[in-house]
Amino acid sequence: MPLDERDKVAHLLRRAGFAARPEEIEAGVARGLEATAHSLLNFETTPDNLDPEPPGLNQNYQQNNQAGPPRGFENFALGWWMNAMIKTTRPLQEKMVLFWHHLFATSTLGVIDPRQMYLQNQLFRGYFNPLLPSQRRTPEDTTSPFPVGNFRNILMWLSRDPAMGYWLDNYQNRRKDNEVGTNENYARELLELFSMGVEDVVAHVPNYTETDVRQLSRVLTGWSVLPVDVRNNYPPVEGQPNNFPRWFAFQPTYGRLQITHDFGPYTVLGVTFSSTGADTQGRRMFDIIVNHKNPGQQQSACGRFLGYRLFQFFGYDDPEPEVINALADVFDKGTPQFTIKNMLRAIFIPGSGIASEAFYSEKAFRAHIKSPTEYIIGTYRLLKPTGYTLNYELVTSNDGLTRLNSPVSLNLTLTFANQMGQLLWRPFDVSGWKEGLNWINTTFDLARFNWAKGFVSEFSVFQQSRNEPPVEQRVPGELTTEAVRTLLVANNAQTPERVVDFLARLLYQVPLSNAARTALINYLRAGTDGTPGTFPFNINNNVTIDNKVRGLLHLMMTSPEYQFS
Amino acid sequence: MNKTTRREFIKKSGFTMLTVGLSQQAFFRSMNMAASGALTQAAALSANDRIFVVVQLEGGNDGLNTVVPRGGSLRSLYEQYRKPTLRIPVADLLPINNDAANNQLGFHPQWTHIKSLYDQRKVGVIQSVGYPNPNYSHFRSMDIWHTANPVGYDTTGWLGDTLDLAEPSNTNPLIAAAIGGSLPLSFVARETTVPAIGNIATYRFQTDTRYPADAQNRINAFIALNQEGAPLRVLVEQIRRTNLDAFASQETLQAGRARYDDGTYPQPPPTYNQANPLARAMQQAAQIIAGNLGTKILHVMLGGFDTHEGQATANKPLEGFHALLLGWVSEAIHTFLQDMKRMGKDDKVLLMTWSEFGRKAPENGNYGTDHGAAAPLFVIGNSVKGGVFGEHPSLRKSDLYPDTDAMKHTIDFRQVYATILEKWLAVDSAEVLGRRFELIPFL
Repeated sequence: MPLDERDKVAHLLRRAGFAARPEEIEAGVARGLEATAHSLLNFETTPDNLDPEPPGLNQNYQQNNQAGPPRGFENFALGWWMNAMIKTTRPLQEKMVLFWHHLFATSTLGVIDPRQMYLQNQLFRGYFNPLLPSQRRTPEDTTSPFPVGNFRNILMWLSRDPAMGYWLDNYQNRRKDNEVGTNENYARELLELFSMGVEDVVAHVPNYTETDVRQLSRVLTGWSVLPVDVRNNYPPVEGQPNNFPRWFAFQPTYGRLQITHDFGPYTVLGVTFSSTGADTQGRRMFDIIVNHKNPGQQQSACGRFLGYRLFQFFGYDDPEPEVINALADVFDKGTPQFTIKNMLRAIFIPGSGIASEAFYSEKAFRAHIKSPTEYIIGTYRLLKPTGYTLNYELVTSNDGLTRLNSPVSLNLTLTFANQMGQLLWRPFDVSGWKEGLNWINTTFDLARFNWAKGFVSEFSVFQQSRNEPPVEQRVPGELTTEAVRTLLVANNAQTPERVVDFLARLLYQVPLSNAARTALINYLRAGTDGTPGTFPFNINNNVTIDNKVRGLLHLMMTSPEYQFS
Repeated sequence: MNKTTRREFIKKSGFTMLTVGLSQQAFFRSMNMAASGALTQAAALSANDRIFVVVQLEGGNDGLNTVVPRGGSLRSLYEQYRKPTLRIPVADLLPINNDAANNQLGFHPQWTHIKSLYDQRKVGVIQSVGYPNPNYSHFRSMDIWHTANPVGYDTTGWLGDTLDLAEPSNTNPLIAAAIGGSLPLSFVARETTVPAIGNIATYRFQTDTRYPADAQNRINAFIALNQEGAPLRVLVEQIRRTNLDAFASQETLQAGRARYDDGTYPQPPPTYNQANPLARAMQQAAQIIAGNLGTKILHVMLGGFDTHEGQATANKPLEGFHALLLGWVSEAIHTFLQDMKRMGKDDKVLLMTWSEFGRKAPENGNYGTDHGAAAPLFVIGNSVKGGVFGEHPSLRKSDLYPDTDAMKHTIDFRQVYATILEKWLAVDSAEVLGRRFELIPFL
């Protein structure tokens, strides 16, 4: 059965954003599918609503006799990001920030200072320029190619991102000999993970050789960060508090004598060029990468790689070669070339070709398994708990130092996200997260179920100390009894049938199967001794809400249907 | 192979899937009864109660600094590649036997426990393990090791295939387990679902403790929501199946785990160093084994071996990250085997380490090493015939891969797999690996 207009609008809102509430669907239907898609795509026209930057970004911690940012800064900054996703007025921009983190997965574990991760997050949003140390947050600066601009420039900006420089070691990559720089880690992943893949995603032929990796590592010698190594207590950079912020620097020399940049000539992907001693020549390699076509292929390797990754993220797993090639054509030949927004348009604007046909197909509808982040953020957006906060609190203690207190809900959410398989800024490895069915295994499932239980009622947290049995600690969830009742009353859902139908519409945006609907209604009616139909269901009674309706929400969030977007 | 899924045989055996109101214990009891009644005769159950523990060293372990040349021409070549920064001095090495080419070798100084096991002839050092046309991508190379296919792309892993073959009518939700959040590709199977267990303490299906009387209702409804209805898409079916397996395996696990320290075995258990992530994982593996749950294969892993920089501390080649990692490996395996001995299971357990590749012969100038190819692999257990198998890879420049300076393999990793499949798991290795490989006499 082809999707109707309402289904398509809901589908678009779920995928190009994080959730589709009934009133958002109604507004989209009234506006029309195409206009809704345009509005999501042209997010710059809507003012953003980001929170102020996390405190402590500019603090000179050494002066306060502290070596780095406050303990837990990473969590506060992650809370900042999760709030941005929950509250955003620009869902597609935020979704793209998540996409770039999936693709350019960077881990705090290698970045040393978690403040740099926050800046990378702003980079992905288009709000950080690694060349401008004095002006880090630059929403007005239109030079950033992120998040939907020219991919050639996105790769160049990524290669200058200090977080990435640290994570994949390129800040240490110096001249070695005519084959290789001293560290090929970034060069390899730039080709393998960030731009082309080991093999062409359609033709399955190798995209590059080991020699290309080594030559590319030469090109990237001297692409470093300032200061070079915070662990060695470099003196403060003029005008900057101690060791932060750190920004990109091309360093052809190091110290007085040592030449660190290899001037070439190099041969990468069959193209030979030299460096003039500035990074400008090095930038040629990004042109070479985005233009690279394997012999006999119509599309660029990079266009196919991105077509695959974008459609997998927004559409469904393992998109067909025709879909990938159509997106690669937009990448190669679109105006202007290599533009991410053009590719997104080809997916989201109905009638724009095979990619959008695939996107609005039955095959795509409710067939994307939510990532843990989508599961959590979507739940917040759908159930809109009142009084929640994933935000830090600022506390000034007796010694005059400002400290950050993180609320229990934030710490718990991050703990469960980790158990579900996706703690942001802590990808399992440099390839980021594998999506689709990889989000589903028994451990990840139980973590979803138990987070859902906690969110709607009460968390059970098990503290385990050495060789002792785990101790259970109980922490209130995010929904108040009154908030649940208000939601039901406002939507005229007061009988078991109506409660189930309303919550299915809210959480799934499609009707339940008869079997599932019956099972859930039976649950609401089952007495505490298990006898069918004996529970005195009455939403004016707190136990009804507290036990049964919360239980129903828990069950609905464990159901197969809720795992899909 | 004509395999029957758990679901199919439940259908075939005429057992109607649960109805709301049937307790979950009754459900799984019925399911197991259906299994034993309908299919016992068809089940080619493996004849032994052996356990195979796979230890993955993720990131590419520097094999050259794990089993290190101690003398001769190999040593002088080693010293050319490994400048003092990464060079393990001869005096600090823990000597082991010479290899087949009479190269003098020693373990990294952090491997005192492994050396002690080696001296008891419980460690097999398999030299120069790899595969043709090495792939220097972590992910492709890991997939090759997980699927035992160096050429094509498989969607199932070698351990999953083994389970499908050896346990075609398995109903045990803990026939195997991966310790850790995610399920390694080696465990992916067509028929068998293997749980990934991040932490036993949190591996449980929670209901609202304030309403204990309603817990059973909630569990019944959960099972009903995941029961088979009209045929839906494959993805939905897979999620349903995993959901049910999550529930079944946590029940089994929580019941079995109690045996670890309830007096079933002599107390106390050895102390696992909680600062050592591999030790924590192996403690969980030991707790599963203690439950006598019929678990045959366990997979644990330790990450961090991708040592492009800071593999050793500047001018202190014995210190640094690689030394820390190797120390963790040695300590964790030692404690685990002590625990197995306590449970009387030390004869029943075989361990195998692997890593997706070794590192290059030369260091890279950042106190680190880039992606390489062949490296040693280790098999450990009471049943292992200890010693050095094969030869250390040649370090002559002309014998390295010219484009990468990586060492070449002489033993195909599938020879190790084949040996374990045949001699330990009693499974026809050709069925799993697609063809026969020469076995290695470590078992």
